[in-house]
Amino acid sequence: MAVYKRPDTLKKTPSGFCPGCMHSLATKLIAEVVEEMGQHKNCVHIVPVGCSTLNLVYWNGDVLGAAHGRAPAVATGFKRSNPDRLVFAYQGDGDCAAIGLAEIMNAANRGENFTVIFFNNQTYGMTGGQMAPTTLIGQKTTTTRYGRDPETTGYPLKMCELLATLEAPAFIARYALNTPKGCREAKKAIRKGFDIQMAGKGFSFIELLGNCPTNWGLTPLQTLDYMESNTIPYFVPGVYKDKFKDGVK
Amino acid sequence: MKRTLVISGSGGQGVMSAGVMIAQTAVDAGNCATYLPEYGPEQRGGSAKCTVVVDEDEIISPLASKCDTLIVMNEQAYEKFAKTLRAGGILVVNTSRIDSEIKKDSFTVVEVPADDLAVELGNIKCANIILIGALVGSEAGIISEEAILKSLDKKFASKKKEVLELNHKALQKGIEYGKKAISK
Amino acid sequence: MAKVLMKGNEAIAEAAVRAGCRFFAGYPITPQNEIPEYLSWRLPEVGGVFVQGESEVASVNMVYGAAASGCRAMTSSSGPGISLKAEGISYLAGTQLPAVICNISRGGPGLGSIQPAQQDYLQATKALGHGGFKVMVFAPASLQEAVDVTYKAWDYAERDRNPVMILMDGCLGSIMEQVELPEMKEPDRTPTDKWSLNRPETSKRGDRVLTPYFPEALLELQNSSRAKMYQRWAKNDVQVEEFMLDDAEFVVVAYGIASRSAKEAIINLRKEGYKLGMIRPITVNPFPKESFDKLNYDTVKGFIDIELAIPAQMHDDIELQVKGRAPIYEYCRSGGVLFDDDGIYAAVKKICDGGAK
Repeated sequence: MAVYKRPDTLKKTPSGFCPGCMHSLATKLIAEVVEEMGQHKNCVHIVPVGCSTLNLVYWNGDVLGAAHGRAPAVATGFKRSNPDRLVFAYQGDGDCAAIGLAEIMNAANRGENFTVIFFNNQTYGMTGGQMAPTTLIGQKTTTTRYGRDPETTGYPLKMCELLATLEAPAFIARYALNTPKGCREAKKAIRKGFDIQMAGKGFSFIELLGNCPTNWGLTPLQTLDYMESNTIPYFVPGVYKDKFKDGVK
Repeated sequence: MKRTLVISGSGGQGVMSAGVMIAQTAVDAGNCATYLPEYGPEQRGGSAKCTVVVDEDEIISPLASKCDTLIVMNEQAYEKFAKTLRAGGILVVNTSRIDSEIKKDSFTVVEVPADDLAVELGNIKCANIILIGALVGSEAGIISEEAILKSLDKKFASKKKEVLELNHKALQKGIEYGKKAISK
Repeated sequence: MAKVLMKGNEAIAEAAVRAGCRFFAGYPITPQNEIPEYLSWRLPEVGGVFVQGESEVASVNMVYGAAASGCRAMTSSSGPGISLKAEGISYLAGTQLPAVICNISRGGPGLGSIQPAQQDYLQATKALGHGGFKVMVFAPASLQEAVDVTYKAWDYAERDRNPVMILMDGCLGSIMEQVELPEMKEPDRTPTDKWSLNRPETSKRGDRVLTPYFPEALLELQNSSRAKMYQRWAKNDVQVEEFMLDDAEFVVVAYGIASRSAKEAIINLRKEGYKLGMIRPITVNPFPKESFDKLNYDTVKGFIDIELAIPAQMHDDIELQVKGRAPIYEYCRSGGVLFDDDGIYAAVKKICDGGAK
C-alpha cells in the first residue's frame, strides 16, 4: 500500500508555480483533505484572480472562476443554491485583503456555510511583486522600492484577527507552511473547516502563511528562515476562533 | 372616459395610500387604472404627489399634464398644483392645512377641515379617508360610494373592528362635505 | 386569470418567481427597492434564496455563483449600481452563464437623481461591461409587457447562455397598473447541459466553468461564435410595435415610458389631421432595423426621437437605419424630469408644423 502518493484531486501535470513556491504545498494539502474526506466529486473549488488562478489547471474537479476579490460572493451564490456541495474559495492577499475585503468580511459576517483558504505571501505575485495589504513594514516590493513605509501605506492587515471580531464565523485559524509541523497543523485546520462546513455549521477561514521566492528575491531555502524571523512574529499562528473545540457534530 | 386625479400633500399625510386605494377601488369596479407616485428623497415630510388615471378602456399614457380632480392636503400642494386643474374640475381642499384664499371661480371647490375632523374622530391618520369621502360625495365620477365602501372593508378586514369603524365614520364625514359642496 | 393591480417593480419580481427564478441578490438603490423587498419574502415561500449583498458588485457575483449551479438567478439595480455590476455581467457573458439583470433607471451621470430617466440606453445596448460583449435588452412600455418579457427572459438567457437585461425607467418601476400574471413554472434543477456545475452525483466531475484563462485561440473562437449569436438575434429575435405607420409622414421613435405619452400625442394629433406613426422597439438590442427599411420614404418627412435622455442616446441607432433618407428631430427631457402629455403633444405638433430645427 502506498504511504505517499499524488492525490487524485490533482491532475497529473507538473505545477506551473515557481520553484519553491508554497502555493503548490497549500494546493496539495487541500487536495489531500478533499480526497481523504471522499469529497472529490462533490467539491467545488472557487478560483480567484492572482497566482492562485493557476489552480484551475491543476485541480482535478469542478472549478468555478471568480472575478478578483469576489470569490466569497460567488461562493455565497453557489453554495446557497447548492447546499450539499463542498465549496471552498482559495484566495491570495490582494484578492482577499484588498479588493475583496468587503466580500470576505460580509460573507464571514453572514456565517456563510463554506470555507475560505487564504494564502498570505505578502505580495502580488502574478502581477510582478507589488505591495500587498499584508506586506510587512520595511519589506521591499516593486511599488515600495525602499521598503513599506507605514506613514504612507499603513500597516500589514491581520485577516484572522479582523475576522475573529465577528460573531458568526465558526472557525478561524492561521498556520505557516515553512515547517513540516506547520504543514501538519494547516492540514488539520483545513480538515476541521471542511468538517464544519459539511455538518452545516457555518463559515470557516484558514490562513496559510506562505512565501514568494521570486518576488522576495530569495532562494526557497532562504524564505523559510525569512518567514521564521519576520512573517511569523507579525502574523502569529494559532486558532483565532473555534466554536467547535470539542469536535464537530 | 379618461379621468385624472391628482393628490398632493407632504410625506406622511397618506397621499400615496389614498391614491393606491382609489386606483384599487376603480379596478375592483371593473375599470382600468394607473397610479403614478412622485416623491423626493426624504422618507418623511418631503412633498408627495400621486396621479391616478381611471378609464373604462386601456390607459395609454399615465403621464397626464392636467387633472380633472385635485385633492390638496397642504398649502404648497395647493400653490403648486391648482394650475394643473382643468376649468370645471373638482378641487378638494384640506382647509386645516391651507390658509390662502381658494379661488373658486372656475372650479367646484369642496372645503374640508380634514385634519381637524380626523382628530375629532379620534385619529389624525384618517384625514386622507375623509378627503376620499369628499371626492366620492362630490360625484367626481372616479369611484362610487358603493365601491369605496367595499374597498374599505377589504383594506381594514385584518385590522381591529374599531379601526374599520373609524374609517367608515371618516368616509361618511367626507361624503357629507362633498355632497354639501355640490348642492350649493 | 384575473388582472391584478400591481406596482411595476413588484410585477417584475413576481413574474421572475413565476418564471422559475430561485435566486436573487441585490443592494438597495432607488427606484428599484421594491424588487429586492418583494423577493426577500417571496423567494423563501417557493424554496428560493434571497441574499441582500454587501454591494452591487458582490450581488452580481452571487448571481454568477448561483447561475453556475444551474439556478435561474436575477439581480436588479439602477444606473449607479448597474455600473458596479458591469464587472460581474462581463464575467457572466465571458463564462456563458445565463442570468437576468434588471435596470430600473434614473437620472445620471454620477449619483444623478432618483427620478426616472432613460439615460442608460447606450450602456445597456453597446457596452454593459468590458470586453465588447452584448446582451439582449428588453425595454417594456407597460407593466403587462414587463411581466411578459421577464417571464421569458431566462428562456433567452439559457438558449444563448448569455445574460439578458430588462431596461425599464423608474416611472414604470413605481407605477401601478393591472397585469395578468402567468402560470407558475417550476424550475428544472436537473440540467444535463455541460455549462452547469449542478449535475447528478453519478456523472463525471471535472468539468469547469471558467472566465479568465482561455488560451487566446479558444477565446477568439468563442468571441466569433458570440458575434454570430448577435447576428442571429438581429434576424430572429427583434420585438417591435409598429403603430399607424402605413400613411405616416412623421415617425416617432420611442421606447418604454416615453412611448406611452408619445402614443397618446399621436392619437390626439391624428384627430387633427396629422399623419403620425410610431416605431417602438421592445428589444432595444437587437434594434428593429427592418421597421425602418419597410417605410415608404416618398411619404416620410421626418423622424422624431423621443427619449428621457439628453443628449438623445437612441439617435445614433435611428440614424444608422434612416441612412439620411429623412431628417431626425428630437424631443428629450433628462436628469429625472419627466415628460407630460401636453409637453409631448406640443413638441410633436411643432415639429410637424415645421417649427423645429
